[in-house]
Amino acid sequence: MQVFGSKELLEDVINRDLCIGCGACVGRCPYFKSYKGKTAMLFECDLSEGRCFAHCPKVEVDLDSLSTTFFQKAYDGNPLGSYMEILGAKAGDKIAKAEFQNGGSVSALIALALETGLIDAAVLTDREGIIPTPRLVTNAQEVFECASSKYMAAPTLSALNNGIEQGFERMGVVATPCQATAVAKIRTNPVKRANFIDPVNLVIGLFCTWALDTRQMLSFLSDQPDMADDIRSADIRSMDIPPPPEEVMVIETGTKKTKIPLKEIRPMICESCQFCPDMTAEWSDISVGAFEGKPGWNTLVIRTKKGKNLVEEAVEKGYLQVEKIPEESIKHLAGAALNKKRNSFIKNVEKGLVNTGEKEGRSAIRLSDDVLKKITAQKENAV
Amino acid sequence: MTDVKTLSHDPYNLIITGVGGQGNVLASRVLGNMLSNKGFFVTIGETFGASQRGGSVMSHLRISKDKTCSPQIPRGKAHMVVALEPVETLRVLMEYGNPNVKALCNTRPIHPVGVITGANNYPDTRDLKSWIEELTESAWFIDATDMAVKLGNPIFGNIMMIGALASQNELPIDRKDFEAVILAAMGPEKTKINLMAYDKGMEMAG
Amino acid sequence: MTRLIEAEEGSRQLFMGNEAIARGALEAGMKVAAGYPGTPSSEIIENLAEVSEKAGIYVEWSANEKVAMEVAAAASFAGLRSLCVMKQNGVNVASDFLLHLAGSGTRAGMVLVPCDDPGALSSVNEGESRHFARLVEVPLLEPGDFQEAKDMVKWAFTLSEEIRNLVMVRSVTRLSHASGNVIMGNIAESKNLEAETKNSAFFKHDGFILDQMEGAVISAPVTYKHGQQHEKLKKAIEFFETSPFNTYTGPENPELLVITSSVCSLYTNEALQMLNAKDRVGLLKLGTTWPLPPKLVAKHLKMTDKILIVEEVIPFLEESVKTLAAELGPEIGVKTFFGKRDNTIPSTGELNPDIIASALSGILGIDMEPVPEAYTKRAGELAFLNAPVRDLTFCPGCPHRASFWSIKNALTMDNREGFICGDIGCYSLAMLPSGFSALKTLHSMGSGTGVASGFGKLGQFGLNQPVVSVCGDSTFFHSAMPALVNAVHHRSNLTMIILDNSGTGMTGFQPHPGLNEDALGKDAPAVDIEAVVRAAGANVTVCDPFDLAETRETVLKLLEDNNGVNVLILRQICALSPEKKGKKQFEMSVDENICVGENCGCNRLCTRIFSCPGLTWDREKKVSRIDEVICAGCGVCASICPLQAINKKEVA
Repeated sequence: MQVFGSKELLEDVINRDLCIGCGACVGRCPYFKSYKGKTAMLFECDLSEGRCFAHCPKVEVDLDSLSTTFFQKAYDGNPLGSYMEILGAKAGDKIAKAEFQNGGSVSALIALALETGLIDAAVLTDREGIIPTPRLVTNAQEVFECASSKYMAAPTLSALNNGIEQGFERMGVVATPCQATAVAKIRTNPVKRANFIDPVNLVIGLFCTWALDTRQMLSFLSDQPDMADDIRSADIRSMDIPPPPEEVMVIETGTKKTKIPLKEIRPMICESCQFCPDMTAEWSDISVGAFEGKPGWNTLVIRTKKGKNLVEEAVEKGYLQVEKIPEESIKHLAGAALNKKRNSFIKNVEKGLVNTGEKEGRSAIRLSDDVLKKITAQKENAV
Repeated sequence: MTDVKTLSHDPYNLIITGVGGQGNVLASRVLGNMLSNKGFFVTIGETFGASQRGGSVMSHLRISKDKTCSPQIPRGKAHMVVALEPVETLRVLMEYGNPNVKALCNTRPIHPVGVITGANNYPDTRDLKSWIEELTESAWFIDATDMAVKLGNPIFGNIMMIGALASQNELPIDRKDFEAVILAAMGPEKTKINLMAYDKGMEMAG
Repeated sequence: MTRLIEAEEGSRQLFMGNEAIARGALEAGMKVAAGYPGTPSSEIIENLAEVSEKAGIYVEWSANEKVAMEVAAAASFAGLRSLCVMKQNGVNVASDFLLHLAGSGTRAGMVLVPCDDPGALSSVNEGESRHFARLVEVPLLEPGDFQEAKDMVKWAFTLSEEIRNLVMVRSVTRLSHASGNVIMGNIAESKNLEAETKNSAFFKHDGFILDQMEGAVISAPVTYKHGQQHEKLKKAIEFFETSPFNTYTGPENPELLVITSSVCSLYTNEALQMLNAKDRVGLLKLGTTWPLPPKLVAKHLKMTDKILIVEEVIPFLEESVKTLAAELGPEIGVKTFFGKRDNTIPSTGELNPDIIASALSGILGIDMEPVPEAYTKRAGELAFLNAPVRDLTFCPGCPHRASFWSIKNALTMDNREGFICGDIGCYSLAMLPSGFSALKTLHSMGSGTGVASGFGKLGQFGLNQPVVSVCGDSTFFHSAMPALVNAVHHRSNLTMIILDNSGTGMTGFQPHPGLNEDALGKDAPAVDIEAVVRAAGANVTVCDPFDLAETRETVLKLLEDNNGVNVLILRQICALSPEKKGKKQFEMSVDENICVGENCGCNRLCTRIFSCPGLTWDREKKVSRIDEVICAGCGVCASICPLQAINKKEVA
């Protein structure tokens, strides 16, 4: 890819409101800072090339190049990305019961990876009050402290940058699709540094259909009469969207559980998410999400040999239990993923963000025209 | 010591230039009082206030046997430029210079904020010297700031420049005039070090 | 500067215009002087304060110009000559009282000296105080040189007592801040009737209501008093007709008559010399510029048909002369006028001999003697290409640079397009890149918080950007306090940041009510800003701006609160203050082994963005470097460098 600098990043991403605040550009230089889910550029920087641009998941993402690097084949537009196997899973007996979103598989896998030395640190997302915050951890206990979903855009990757500065060389990252894309870009050394060491040895992706704008969510909750106190005292225990048909988000605070209709939540979805083609975090070793129809369980999309080995070891050691997943469920999942992919590509094309030529300038995403045509030509699935 | 009794021009137009904080105003007052005490009419025009904050500062001294002059020298009418900062010499010559002007420059640069940020360049000292020589009838260069630092405080650079100016016999001023003015303004305690600075300046330019 | 009082009668001194004004007041037996600091006026009060004990006078830096004028007026009412000093903007502040004072009249001589700043050499406007003389109908005098600055002030007290009303003596930057030779008058023998006969101040107030000297001092009954005021002006005109401050030089029948005043008379004189045109042009220099003496003006208008009026900024004199010329039409005939209305003289910026010479040469058809063209071209070229501009910037070690760094960072991180309403002081420089272009509104003293108070009420119309105002400690007392009270009372959402650098930094570190020192350097009870803010009902936090991280976090936290007024006091003494000047707290150095210079992703953050004059870029080594001559040793840059390459070592 051609690498530009922060000026172009500002033009292409921040000014277009495409920044999802993943934190990939935060912590490598003094110019980018994260605050309440947003990334801000403090001062103008006139360097013509920067890692801020090179690592951003919202600009010049070359899907063929990433696919070739990580899966040794061209990008084919498969709704669920490239994978070897899909399983149902939940944390095994070895794992103490924590506040898991679903099956606790992510925590179990990361805990194991830390214990076996597969990774030397893990990049996770914790929470301060309602606000998701990046966290770099090195032991299992800390992993469990970070469990449960955040539903909000988080600058998680600033912890990865922090880990690089600290000298970790085999980190595990738990990443949403946008974050996993950034991690994939980071790992390809786009700025062509000599002495580059891939700082990541494991990526666990999280299914994601959208993320909420942190500040909007914060002010929305602060305006809820019965929640304001808990928000002020930052006493948030968990957030969850139970499976349909309920259509609510449940927020558990120290004093109560509050249900908020999804139709009130949706307007707070980040603009950027509409342009994201990835539901299952395709640039990962294993992707994890809910197992629809089976509460307390996860769906595992195993994508790499490394991922498969880790799952097998986890099962062997009692960190994880797995089971086959019905074909119907996979179809259902793929349908949802296709919808996201198709709709987002249509939007991207409309905005002129795909495969732009030299004249039009930089692209958000690049992929082969055939695959693009294939994705956008498909009918929307009834999910 | 000088033996000049009269002015080479009337009014004699002298500009002291520098950057806010260099002691421009003090230098012009001291010099002005030295000449006023000799019976000359002295008019000093200067601006200070906001211009002190990193900006260029300029004092116009008009010395006459018999009249108060405009506090602003007309364009192209300077006879002598005393610059506490080298690049300021160029700036002053652009407006007030002429083929017969003389200049006395401190060579120590003070970088403008635009140079610090990298937006502008500061010229090479050798180039600066050659341009100033080109634009003046005669020019003297001394590193007053460095010598002042050796004396204990860069601020003495301005007094050194007065000493250096006195050594050029351009104006009817001498060490006694200087001593009297400094004594009256600052008291005996500070006079000693200021006299040292004055003498150093004379020595460096002489 | 004790020579202000000790310089003997008849001696010839090199005085700054402001010193001459102060001396004039002393020679007049002035007893009370009050003012508010403002360039170019500040040295008048400063000099008087210095000799106050010896001279037996009372001098104060008042909280603002209106209060200063009220304080001075009280002295006049009690029979003591008084002086009031301010820069032009101050007259705007004082103008409400000024109008009423002109209506009530004064008793002992009272003189207002406003110092205007044509060209805005150190102001954010080039406003005019001459308007006010006409607006409130009091006499206006304008000294044309340094001697006149002294003599005119002295005479103004006499005139004030003759007409029992305030007299304005207007100075400008090029007079106040310029110096020239002044022959001293006598201080001891000066006449001050009230003070000498009574030897003590006393306010008579129980006389007949219409008796200005013994009854209540009020401007009512208005039309009666207004009529009296007009009689006073007529009396002033009579003095003006024969005033020695109005002079004519030149031939009896000049080709052109130049009418001018103030420092412009020096410029015009110089211009006439440059053009060798003294035998062709008459110069009527007026010292009494409002109301104009009609007989004197008529006499000179009759001398020729072509008139050029030379003055700075607004055509004030021009309009007065033209009004008279219209009235005198039958007597003097039709004249051709040159001035601002026909663009012969520019209407903005200050004048100088060259501008006037060029105007004269146009009218007279004289070629100006130029500097050889080749020289001008070469010098212009060399300077243009090689003399880098010197933009204004905060001083090395200035707390404001650190404050705006953190505030700007907090606003950017906050990401809701928050903004700062600026105010008047050194920190006004934050409108420039070297202050990170942080200020988005900038008007008069105290108006930052007033404007912010308005912005903070626009939430109901959808304005949800964070609103911040800044003001200095002196400005707080001057006029930001009412704005704060307004904001608190109306629950306006804003963060007011008080940049408390313990003095009036911009004008030379004069004391203000927040300090335990008065104009004379004597102990005075300090009014605690924090307590005032708290009493007004706002939350208040105090922070050291040199702690960049804490300041930023504090500002971020305050921006979140959308429930009324939060005040943050950023307290750190000015680098030029007597306590700090010349003393370094830290010896700073750059570790060249750690600074990776141009290879650093910081893109020269320290020099390119933070841009303190004490930290420069070594172009040869390509690393940053401390300039030990300029560095003030504040230590802040150590926390800017992401690699911690800048070291600070406490100076023992």
